[in-house]
Amino acid sequence: MDLVAELVDLLGASRVHTHPIDRLIYAKDSGVTAGDPAVVVLPENTGEVAAVMRLASRAGVPVVPRGAGTGLAGGAVPAPGSLLIVLTRLNEIHEVDEIGRTAWVGPGIVNLDLSQALADRGLHFAPDPASQQSSTIGGNVATNAGGPHCLAEGTTVAHILGVEMVTVDGDVVVLGGEAPDAPGYDLRGLVVGSEGTLGVVTRVLVRLIQNPPDVVTMLLVFDDIHDAARTVSDVIAAGLVPAALEMMDRPMIESVENFAHVGFPTDADAILIAEVVGHPSGTVVEGALIERIAAQNGATEIRTAANDEERALLWKGRKNAFGSIAQSAPDYYLNDTVVPRTRFVEVLDEIYAIAARDGLRLMNVFHAGDGNFHPLVTFDASEPGMTERVVTASHDMVHAAVAAGGTLSGEHGIGLEKRDLMHLVFTPEDLDAQARIRDAFDPGGMLNPGKILPDGARLGGGE
Amino acid sequence: MTTVRATTLRLFERLRDETVDSHARFVVAPSSLEEAAGLLRVAASEGLSVRFRGGGTHGGIGNPVTADLVVTTTKLASIVDWQPDDLTVVVGAGMPVDDLEEVLAEHRQTPVLPETAPGATVGGVVAAGLSGYRRLRYGPTRDRVLRIEMATGYGEVITGGSLVVKSSTGYGVSRLAVGSLGSLGLIGTVALKLWSQPAMTATVPVTDAAAALATAYRPLAVLETTGGSFCYLSGTEEEVASQADELSAMGSPGLTWPDPIEQPVQLSVRVPPRDVPETVSLVRELDPARWIAEHGVGIVTVGFDHLDEDTFCDLRSWAESRSGSLVVLDGADLIGDGADPWGPPPTSITIQRRIEDAFDPSGVCNPGILPGGL
Repeated sequence: MDLVAELVDLLGASRVHTHPIDRLIYAKDSGVTAGDPAVVVLPENTGEVAAVMRLASRAGVPVVPRGAGTGLAGGAVPAPGSLLIVLTRLNEIHEVDEIGRTAWVGPGIVNLDLSQALADRGLHFAPDPASQQSSTIGGNVATNAGGPHCLAEGTTVAHILGVEMVTVDGDVVVLGGEAPDAPGYDLRGLVVGSEGTLGVVTRVLVRLIQNPPDVVTMLLVFDDIHDAARTVSDVIAAGLVPAALEMMDRPMIESVENFAHVGFPTDADAILIAEVVGHPSGTVVEGALIERIAAQNGATEIRTAANDEERALLWKGRKNAFGSIAQSAPDYYLNDTVVPRTRFVEVLDEIYAIAARDGLRLMNVFHAGDGNFHPLVTFDASEPGMTERVVTASHDMVHAAVAAGGTLSGEHGIGLEKRDLMHLVFTPEDLDAQARIRDAFDPGGMLNPGKILPDGARLGGGE
Repeated sequence: MTTVRATTLRLFERLRDETVDSHARFVVAPSSLEEAAGLLRVAASEGLSVRFRGGGTHGGIGNPVTADLVVTTTKLASIVDWQPDDLTVVVGAGMPVDDLEEVLAEHRQTPVLPETAPGATVGGVVAAGLSGYRRLRYGPTRDRVLRIEMATGYGEVITGGSLVVKSSTGYGVSRLAVGSLGSLGLIGTVALKLWSQPAMTATVPVTDAAAALATAYRPLAVLETTGGSFCYLSGTEEEVASQADELSAMGSPGLTWPDPIEQPVQLSVRVPPRDVPETVSLVRELDPARWIAEHGVGIVTVGFDHLDEDTFCDLRSWAESRSGSLVVLDGADLIGDGADPWGPPPTSITIQRRIEDAFDPSGVCNPGILPGGL
């Protein structure tokens, strides 16, 4: 019996898709590359995922896991002839422990849905990628996703205490758990950020954070982006790690304001959104410190959100940054690099210079406090040669970040997009060590092949 | 005893570490990771087993290792790069944690490493995967390890991670190294994310640790110990004062941590945080010399002057019944005829074994120290 027939036996015809239209729906994530899976399946529990893996393994068909497909690096793009496992139906909250402040959830649950479901218990899941209204926790695990509030709380890996995972052979293993420091290697820490190449995660133990008793959110306005960048550096250097410290430049402010109408000043060169959380007696002091630093650096206006609605409006502006692009250009290429925070200003200037050199329209929204750049180039892909020009310029921006001691990706991952740039930050020996890890989980190379590691990563030969 | 080539003997003699007392045949202190990698290649070709040593303070963790060669981090012990404005530091593995804290205090920064481990080195703490009490607020040590440079068991120098505060760039080699107890190779440098020291801290005695955990907003730690329960607060002066008020308790300024447990038998009971109160009741009944329970974290560290095998097994069964573990930190050989320091190997043992084989194919690095004899 062939694989598709076996899958239909297992899951029923309604959860196994091979029609070209269905395959097209799942052909890509939110990046620029498309693939073509042989078959798409929608399991609903761990047992089904394990059974699917065993069938695929026996048939020798590569497997690609996928969440909501909001990734930008091509991590969920199906390899040719692969079996695509869509995990969005494993979206339950299985268990919440209010004392330990943890929850076991399905990988298919949407990030924001999780925090909203926990709101009345006074808890939330801290990582909040811009995609949080649609991206899944499983996808966040795969890319070690970030978000504005990772400045103080760390990225996804700090919020995943354990995973239940189906191995390439169809075995179910639990890595990490509610009890701290499980004996043996921290395989949990390897699986987070591994972009579906080490196994298929079927349950996630998330760490939950107490909702703060007080939140102060500020909009800081500057007529020179360098003043904004210096404010960021000075805040961090003052030893204050705010809950969030986000920056937008003029083209991005204009785009967002035109789209979301949140009251951003369109005549500003840059804005910062700063947020401090905690006890009211502490947020007052920290808020005042940020105001003082901003004023010293020439802030032209400082607005503090007076209530939750005003705060929500500021964040609506930030989180609609990418959504707002559609009105100005048919396509955009969003990059993601990180530099040491003290090198932020110089790399920023280089990024502008690269865009100016190539005549590209660049707008920027940054997780400035983390040194995490998101330069975004808008363009029209139907113009001949345009996509290539944009990609070349974006790679030059990555080079600039790496030259300043930075790295390829802060939160989007490597996927297909930056696979061939890995040698910029890792030696052949480093990449070989990474390949050894991958092979320990998946000796036959059947899980999400072609992602993360460039060809030739294994020094001993063999791929 | 394995015969060693003359050139190897000369190498070991040249690198001999005079500062360390050990029963091993050879004790050497490489001055660079490249030199360490060379030593590991020699060890593999000569069939010598190797043990790594930092401050020698946590040598009781794990299955016993008989080593022909001890490689120390004595000469890899300085700050390589500290960027106070970036809140990052790169430090040689052999640097004592206390010394690092002292240097970083110049800029009121902290790596949030274990508070009471005199003599312990950064590399040792990272290799053993140990965290301080402040992990309740700042997360475990592993969350602050940004990058690691190591010499692998197969004798190559590799770097895992990046010197930036967030990264999603390839596999988490540095995360794998944390807690690997030297079974994959020698950690040479560690890059850490730092935190600023809070403006104000206070140690507040409380009557009910579990209640304090439920009330306080993100305290640094909530400890219940043989000598009472304490909630550790941080923030601005006003913040700390109002939090202490909410706990209806009078605190004293600063962080007064319990003395380290120094009994010959030391256990770490690791359970889901919700099971800490019940674990404490159970431990109390055993009347150990000392214990420290970390509420909200799930670790109860217990020190015994003597411990019989039955009591030990009962405690381990309890931890395992809560999907936790009981790990012997020291004195496993003093429990009955000698106890298994780890308990049963994890369900992922097949993958764990493949990782160990991939990084230490000749089995020279701390052979057998981990659960399942990895």
